[in-house]
Amino acid sequence: MAYEFTKEDLQEIEKIKAKYPEVKAATLPALWVAQNRFGHVDENVQKLVANTLDLPESHVHGVATFYTQYYKEEKGKYVLDVCTCLSCQLCGGYDILEHLEKNLGIKKGETTEDGMFTLNEVECLGACGYAPMMQITNDQYVNNLTTEKVDKVVEDLKNGKVPEYEQIEMPLRNVK
Amino acid sequence: MPEVFIDGERYIYEGEQRLLQFIQDLGKEVPFFCYHPSMSAPANCRQCMVKVGQPIKDRETGEYEVDENGDRVIRWFPKLQTACNMMISDGMVVHTQETDELVSRAQKDNLEFILINHPLDCPICDQAGECPLQIQTYKYGPEGSRFEVKKVHKPKRVQLGPRVILDAERCINCTRCVRFTDEISKTHQLTITSRGDKNYPITAPNTEFDDPYSLNTVDLCPVGALTSADFRFKARVWEMNQTPSIDITNAKGCNIDLWTRDNLVLRVTPRFNEDVNDHWMPDEGREAYRIFNENRISRPKQKLDNEQVQSSWNNAFATISEQLEEAEKSDVLFVASPHASVEENYLFSKFASLTGYRTPLFTPHIEEGKGDGFLITDDLAPNTNGCRLLGLEEKSASEIAKAVKKATVVILLGDHLVDRGILTSEDLKEKFVAAFATNNSETTKIADLVVPITTAAEHAASYVNIDGRIQRTFPAKETKYTNRRLDFEMSEGRLDRYGTSFDNWVTDNNKVDCLPMWEIMRRVAEQAGLEEFQYGSGREVMEEIASISEPFNGVSYEAMDEQSGIQLDSIKPTTVQS
Amino acid sequence: MSSADWKNYEPVLIPQIRDLHKIDVYEKNGGYSALKTVLTAKDKFPDQKSVIEEVKAANIRGRGGAGFNAGLKWSFMPPADGGPRYLACNGDESEPGTFKDRKIFEYNPHVFIEGALIAAYAMQITTIYVYIRGEYRAYIQMMEKAIQDAYDKGYIGKDIFGSGYSVDFHVHSGAGAYICGEETSMLESLEGKRGYPRVKPPFPAQKGLWGRPTTINNIETLAHVPSVINRGAEWFKGVGAENHPGPILYGISGHVNRPGVYELPSGVPVLDLVHEVAGGMRNGKKLKAVIPGGSSTPVVRADQLDGITMDSDSLREVGTMMGTAGMVIMDEDTDMVDMLWRITHFYHHESCGQCTPCREGTGWLEKVMLKIKNGEGEVKDLDLLLDITTQMEGRTICALADAAAWPVRHTITRFRDEFEARCKKSVHAVA
Repeated sequence: MAYEFTKEDLQEIEKIKAKYPEVKAATLPALWVAQNRFGHVDENVQKLVANTLDLPESHVHGVATFYTQYYKEEKGKYVLDVCTCLSCQLCGGYDILEHLEKNLGIKKGETTEDGMFTLNEVECLGACGYAPMMQITNDQYVNNLTTEKVDKVVEDLKNGKVPEYEQIEMPLRNVK
Repeated sequence: MPEVFIDGERYIYEGEQRLLQFIQDLGKEVPFFCYHPSMSAPANCRQCMVKVGQPIKDRETGEYEVDENGDRVIRWFPKLQTACNMMISDGMVVHTQETDELVSRAQKDNLEFILINHPLDCPICDQAGECPLQIQTYKYGPEGSRFEVKKVHKPKRVQLGPRVILDAERCINCTRCVRFTDEISKTHQLTITSRGDKNYPITAPNTEFDDPYSLNTVDLCPVGALTSADFRFKARVWEMNQTPSIDITNAKGCNIDLWTRDNLVLRVTPRFNEDVNDHWMPDEGREAYRIFNENRISRPKQKLDNEQVQSSWNNAFATISEQLEEAEKSDVLFVASPHASVEENYLFSKFASLTGYRTPLFTPHIEEGKGDGFLITDDLAPNTNGCRLLGLEEKSASEIAKAVKKATVVILLGDHLVDRGILTSEDLKEKFVAAFATNNSETTKIADLVVPITTAAEHAASYVNIDGRIQRTFPAKETKYTNRRLDFEMSEGRLDRYGTSFDNWVTDNNKVDCLPMWEIMRRVAEQAGLEEFQYGSGREVMEEIASISEPFNGVSYEAMDEQSGIQLDSIKPTTVQS
Repeated sequence: MSSADWKNYEPVLIPQIRDLHKIDVYEKNGGYSALKTVLTAKDKFPDQKSVIEEVKAANIRGRGGAGFNAGLKWSFMPPADGGPRYLACNGDESEPGTFKDRKIFEYNPHVFIEGALIAAYAMQITTIYVYIRGEYRAYIQMMEKAIQDAYDKGYIGKDIFGSGYSVDFHVHSGAGAYICGEETSMLESLEGKRGYPRVKPPFPAQKGLWGRPTTINNIETLAHVPSVINRGAEWFKGVGAENHPGPILYGISGHVNRPGVYELPSGVPVLDLVHEVAGGMRNGKKLKAVIPGGSSTPVVRADQLDGITMDSDSLREVGTMMGTAGMVIMDEDTDMVDMLWRITHFYHHESCGQCTPCREGTGWLEKVMLKIKNGEGEVKDLDLLLDITTQMEGRTICALADAAAWPVRHTITRFRDEFEARCKKSVHAVA
């Protein structure tokens, strides 16, 4: 499949390039632009990014494969990244993961047959105080998960409703 | 003079020096994998750990602080240091594995780590026998393995490109191959993919590792992760002889080694020469090993009733003499060759001059635009400058063709002019054509007489490269008439020493029936009644050249051997050495 | 403000002011006055050096985990030569247990921006990059907005406050690699490469981004700078513990009733943080262990914690470190074998693979831990694990190998019985 950047993408990439003294530095942000556009950065998209930035393809491939957030293949419409690292593990992250495996009928790392969900087990996402939690397709954090909350999120997603940004109030200090 | 203390010995040094390189230059050893003197030092293999300290100086007086015994007080680095990226500084004190328990422990620990995910398949690995990992494991590694869990699995038998095959499980992630394509060949064709223990080197998806220097990564690879598609599984290295030589496929004259077994050249690898090719050579030069083995002319051939048949050496020499005697001197043309050595061209021209023939002509073999400013040159011949310095007449292709058409007797020295498109078979009709040549070709097919001569793999001979550097080869494989055990210039491998004619891997099959030019010209000259061709070796020919030809003054095999070739003053280097 | 008096501490980084993330609210609350002071009040700060001296005197110990005096670090920058110089702000927080810098991005981005601008001015820096982990997409967007607002108000850009000083400020998003929190790996990632830590020397101050002088500071570290300028180094030094002064963002997670990020003086007793600040143990369980500053800092048993406070000196007494002050609290039901296995899994996953001991050692640790977790381990495997940690520590370019080794060594040592109990009984070691 041939991929092409839109005019807007190319303008954005030009803006990105202007932020750095060398074009190579635009590799990560340009891969982000590509992933936002195409949903992944498979080998063809990597090639597009290399050609657009006029960098060696091997370089872009090496970078794309080093960073876990870049999808090197097509994923489900929603990627559920369930954190199971340390604090999340302690607070039941694995229960959430198992619940989702059962609920979606897939194992971690797999995509549902209808292409709706990909389920991943991921490393610490920096939401340790709101464990267990998951991230949806590199974007929204859903915190303080319970099996009920997870079920609702999945149902909502099936209906195209993506959870909103969860503002976590600063904890009030109980004593003053 | 600044000083450094290594394992209790004092050494003086000059300038900026990397500790590991300095230790190596002393002839001492610290094990390592990722370091390479011609590339950046990422210090990633962590094998060359040493203990390093610096004497404490009093800030005010600048004197070294001393303890109660009068010894300098040393401030040690809190951690062991990698020697590869450590710059030596004045007064530095270093302990290697020879004198420090913790250092040898650290090196052993590191080897244990390297080996846990390594397949340990030395018995079927091409690298075995010349494998830094194998060698250093024997010397510095742990004796057993405590790794009782599952190894990481990675792709095997990956055809990276036309000439290089990857076994990612053997890879130890030294990144030498990646750095080679980034820093030396600059094709940037390789990268490390993935992360952590899943790392391995690879090309971008759907691209080929067709770098014209790709096979250097096979030499660089400190394990058997990258192997040569052509050479793999052909021979164990310990069965082969390694003979120094010169790449004759272009004008750069890369220093190389010829690897032979049973008188077949099985591979070519670059040999370090700082002034010519550093550690590298183009892939093309390596594939040229075939010209030493395949399609060779063995025994003279003579045309009878328009068909070439095998002839005898005596017959061949007699035929040349007859033809020369019968022809008018002005009708005889000697065509020399930039593909032949200095010695061969010299003998050819000496004969022409002593017998009153026209000075031999030659035409350079140029392919415009082929050169890359590195080790590949436009000039496809190894000795164009040698022909020039010998005073042979340099002609354009059309001038050569014109001269040939006029002559009735044409003597060719190893330049396949028909194959090069300079002459047609039509041009050579109705003349007597003698070809001194190593391999069959369209040109030799037309010749009335074909005289097989030795290749660069069978004789010692010199070539003047594009930068005016004269360098020489050594005989690597035997002919019908030479014997490894009698020729001190020839290397002798394990098989030569211990193999017998009853061993099925030692045969006479691969010995070509050919002679060196000095011997052929002696015989030809004798027929013509000349006594001035009494040589016993190429070495003696060079001695004569050096004594009578000014550009070659001071050149000898000894001097070339000592200095890895000699830069001749009369030619200015064309390329800047990096 | 002593540590003991933490209950009366007024937060400065994340005070409870509505909409503080908006630039006009920040300005109304005294925002950007510190920047104005250093740029224009020549009586107070005659030159850049005087700013560095003030910050150095405050002894802001790097909040990214290494705890190095920020002002001292700034003073390592070579004299300006007219060429580009960089400040790289480290917002890659990815160490398990650490989630504090995001609070600054979300609630008070301008205090960080202002701090970074002061740092940049003090070091005559021409461009600032803030590297934020790619997972923090929401915070990346917030920061981009905040930076744009500051540009629009003239706090960033050309000739700030008419001082003649100009600087640019950009956000750079990571893409999922813990190692990029290591400062030189972050530089590689900023330059668009695989995040392989660099060999030092040369140090970033000499050769950092694109071979030019570069300083790397943690987000929280820089966020402290405005209050040091406004209130003086003496005030900062007077907050909390003497050797690790100033306010700290404590990130408390795990089995407590009120996990979250709390800004308090350094040196607050660990047990106060658990039982009072974070609302005590969940479900009335007993405290079993605390990891004080992110997953790499050695775990401490509850019985070791009496009188221990959150500062480097006190924590050293129980063989652990301040780290990022990301505290992970574990209750009596916690399975230490499972917990440790998960940490080894993390470091195995995150090792960049450059150095042999880390690339191979992290995987080996995890695989042996998995064996033990599954009840298939033997007691000799525990000793093997300890050996592996010794073989990894101090042998690599960056500290990830150390970070992977410490929790293994200390968790096994401090909870040995629990680990042995999980090993196969039949092959119990002979005395």
